[in-house]
Amino acid sequence: MKKLKKNKLLLLFLVFTSMISNTVVGQDSIVAKEIVKLQYFNRNNSLQYLILESILKKGKQIEPQKSKAFKIFLDKDQPENLVAKVMTDDNGKAKAIIPPQLKSIWDSAEQHNFLVVAEASGKEGETPSEFTIRKAKISIDTSSADGTKNISVTVMKYKNGEWLAAKDVEMKIGVQRLGGILPAGESDSYTTDSTGIATSEFKKDSLPGNEYGDLMLVARVEDNDELGNLIVEKPVPWGVVTKTDNGFFNQRALWSTRFRTPLWLLFMAYTIVIGVWGTIIYLVVQLVKIKKIANSTA
Amino acid sequence: MENIAAFSNEQITRDLLPQKFGRRGMIWTGILVLLCLTGAYAYYRQLKYGLVVTSMRDYVSWGIYISNFVFFVAISLVGSLITAIFRLANVKWSTPLTRIAEIIAVSAIVFASLIIIVDMGRPERFMNLFLHGRIQSPIMWDVIVIGTYFFISCLLLYFPLLPDLKILIAFKEKSGKALNKLYRFQGSFWKGTKEQFQISDKAINILCIIIVPVAFCIHTVTSWLFATTYRPGWDSTNFGAYFISGAFLVGAGGVVVAMYIFRKSYHLEKYITEKHFEKMGRIVVLLALLYLYFNINEYLIPAFKMKKPEEAHLTQLFTGEFAALFWFAISIGMIIPILILLFKKGRRPLPVFIAGIMVVIGAWFKRYLIVTPTLLHPFLPMQNVPESYHHYFPSWEEWAIAIGSLSGALLVITFFARIYPIIPIHEIITEQHEEAEKK
Amino acid sequence: MSCNCGGNDCSKNSRRDFLVTSLLATAALAGCSDKKNPFIPEDEVVPSGEKVKLLSVDGEIIEIDKAFLKPVPDLPHLSNSEERKGIPGKKFVMVIDLARCKNLRKCQEACNHMHHVHPGQNWIKVLGMEDSDHTAPYWQPTTCMHCDEPPCVKVCPVDATFKRQDGIVLIDSDRCIGCRFCMAACPYSTRVFNWEEPVLPKEVADQHYSCETSLPQKKGTVGKCDFCPDMTRKGELPHCVSACPNGVFFFGDMNEDTVTNGAETFRFSELIRDKAGYRLMEDLGTKPRVYYLPPVNRNFPYQSGLENEKPEEKTKN
Repeated sequence: MKKLKKNKLLLLFLVFTSMISNTVVGQDSIVAKEIVKLQYFNRNNSLQYLILESILKKGKQIEPQKSKAFKIFLDKDQPENLVAKVMTDDNGKAKAIIPPQLKSIWDSAEQHNFLVVAEASGKEGETPSEFTIRKAKISIDTSSADGTKNISVTVMKYKNGEWLAAKDVEMKIGVQRLGGILPAGESDSYTTDSTGIATSEFKKDSLPGNEYGDLMLVARVEDNDELGNLIVEKPVPWGVVTKTDNGFFNQRALWSTRFRTPLWLLFMAYTIVIGVWGTIIYLVVQLVKIKKIANSTA
Repeated sequence: MENIAAFSNEQITRDLLPQKFGRRGMIWTGILVLLCLTGAYAYYRQLKYGLVVTSMRDYVSWGIYISNFVFFVAISLVGSLITAIFRLANVKWSTPLTRIAEIIAVSAIVFASLIIIVDMGRPERFMNLFLHGRIQSPIMWDVIVIGTYFFISCLLLYFPLLPDLKILIAFKEKSGKALNKLYRFQGSFWKGTKEQFQISDKAINILCIIIVPVAFCIHTVTSWLFATTYRPGWDSTNFGAYFISGAFLVGAGGVVVAMYIFRKSYHLEKYITEKHFEKMGRIVVLLALLYLYFNINEYLIPAFKMKKPEEAHLTQLFTGEFAALFWFAISIGMIIPILILLFKKGRRPLPVFIAGIMVVIGAWFKRYLIVTPTLLHPFLPMQNVPESYHHYFPSWEEWAIAIGSLSGALLVITFFARIYPIIPIHEIITEQHEEAEKK
Repeated sequence: MSCNCGGNDCSKNSRRDFLVTSLLATAALAGCSDKKNPFIPEDEVVPSGEKVKLLSVDGEIIEIDKAFLKPVPDLPHLSNSEERKGIPGKKFVMVIDLARCKNLRKCQEACNHMHHVHPGQNWIKVLGMEDSDHTAPYWQPTTCMHCDEPPCVKVCPVDATFKRQDGIVLIDSDRCIGCRFCMAACPYSTRVFNWEEPVLPKEVADQHYSCETSLPQKKGTVGKCDFCPDMTRKGELPHCVSACPNGVFFFGDMNEDTVTNGAETFRFSELIRDKAGYRLMEDLGTKPRVYYLPPVNRNFPYQSGLENEKPEEKTKN
């Protein structure tokens, strides 16, 4: 077992060195593979950005590649097409936006290629990783009738110079929660029909909302091959008003901090301590008295 | 005190003044110092490398340091027993034993506090207890109550010492310059006037009353360090009384041992008589029976029900890994001493001394059995940890520190007996006069 | 802590300010209604004050704060007293689905890796449980229960371990005196002790100590599962939740009545009701914040987990 542990350490060390030198160190049996992923995000049809993820895959193990520099280009591997130079963080991720100077290139086509080139790889003519996305729009609409609340999400894509309905796009429709989307209806995911619309009934009765009872509805297309990631949000007053109650935290309990000691305990502790130490002080005073008597007799 | 009555005051004073170490005394002190130094070196290693030098791990997170702590707290209870309870009950024969009991109490409580600091992972943050102290925690109660008990014990040691200090100052040529300076510093103001005696007697009476509840508190609170948790073997409403009865027993045992040793080495046969051993023997028997009663209560009742978490714990104690130690501690700590001391022949000095040693040793292991086996029987199975986490046997550093602390306590007692009269001279003389007047 | 109050108020205000401004920024960008957005958006960042121009989907040029360029948002440095209070308005809860666990220990691996737990020790243990001779064995991942009546917090003499308003029980390793009373008090044996100087990479050892990241760990102090509050502040899930390939762990906010394992999201109350969720050792009255779903209709047989047992650790004792 000790040997195995040692090997593990060795492996970790190898991964580490390979990251520094940016070269792939292959062991005899396990060949490490560098993988670059680029994801395109479209938020509320306005904000768009790219997230690049660089990982090193070794057998079953996946390690993020830290502090690795990449260049991202739009359509062509040319300096004037440069979107951004990025450096991956501790999780092997980097984020990029499309700068305004690429406006003409961006506007010129309805579909774009993003090219990712590792910087300082030292290898000439390395083929860049390519990621294609098509321009798309996503919108969310709500309606209530006879007590049922409906959500419909429309996805359109830009093709042949016009906005067409995007068919068969899978998405999640629900309420934005910490770390995930709580499905609005019964199904986990929805797919658009031929009109590019996916609908879901809102079935979460009396779901806690914010202090005004608002919920944030979200529709999210994840990792679509053609369109990338599309997110749209809409606040709706469909939740239950939730007031944060810190009464629990602020109570005087045995587990509270020293500033919120239960009063009965304080009372008991102080009574005992003052009683006993009062007596002790009295006794010390007696000692002093004995001393004084000695002085006066002398 | 009929046999003392024959002696003059000068005779008594000469007998009881502190004596220089003889050859045996030097060897004894030397060994103790050596053991203390070994403990100090072990502690230096612990400070340097962390608690990893101990055998404690995540499951057994408290080891012999804590059982040693409980032992010290237990033995310190004796000060209140011999001094306060007997004095309040107007028991006269215990007078020669009071100072022995009190110095045992003081030195034990000092080393109880030291050993708890040794057990801390971050001893340098000790002040946090005062800067950020939280009164909800039983540890805080323990800190307060131990501090209080230490202070009261010191006072109870000091007040009766005042008249003796006067005598000591008078014998300047015998004690030497340095000691005389110390005596003067501590007691030059004592003139022995009636007024001074009045105040002092009243103070001692108050001390005797107040030390009893405080002494009960130190041991009850110490037992609550365990009883406030959910663990099998600790989760008991009986724990306070159980610990106090055990503490009385080990304290009385400790006094018996000290009595015998002081009697032999300082030739105090005239003052610590066979009668004292006879009476202390009776007390030890009574306390051992009481402790046995609480033990039966503590083990039989859970064993009758055998709740699942208790079952693992109790079977390990009765027939499993800890059985040998458990039955050893029970028999040597209670049953054999009871059997010895029930008989009149068993209550002569030597058998009482042997029974006392048994009680003390049994009590030390009993504390170990209270702390460790419980921690090895958590509610959830012990898994996902290295094999070594499943067991506990103290490392040499732990042994060295534990033994060092015990030697330290003995060293304090030894030096105290070197500097001060271990039997209160003044009180013996007064009592002798009272006896004489009665006649 | 009264002396910290001034500074604390300050930082609280600045955080609130930053929340408001960044929310407004997002709202304006998104062209949403100007109703206050109650949720921290996924890509919330600390505004740097500097703006950058970027191209929108429609080819428009819009402005955004420069700090947005980071993939993981930087959070403002929190004061100790703020870390002790916790995230306002949250009540974190975890649900562990025993029917899905096959002792893969990916949770443990991720947790140990991210928190630099001492080799051999674990904050998350996957226990092979068998309640009695004739009942079915199952794998039970065990984290800190973050009890609402925490026995460990009750006994701490120096407020080194504390309960926050968001329900998390944390440890302040700068305060801990290493008395280990909390370890004895915890009935779930969840706490571990730094018996020796932790071996940490230099950049971790040098970073400023935070109760929320529990890093860098310190010799002679207690450690345990912390529900990764540094992750939840960023709106992300704890490491064990995202590391589990079988989706065993669900994490969420009770005030949102939702738990998620990243892939699936459930309404907490429905999940607990429908699958008869329970808590460990309810009779002790500790009121854990971790719920278990019973190991029924399992995804894997118990035996399939045995191969993942590490040989140096015994399952049965």
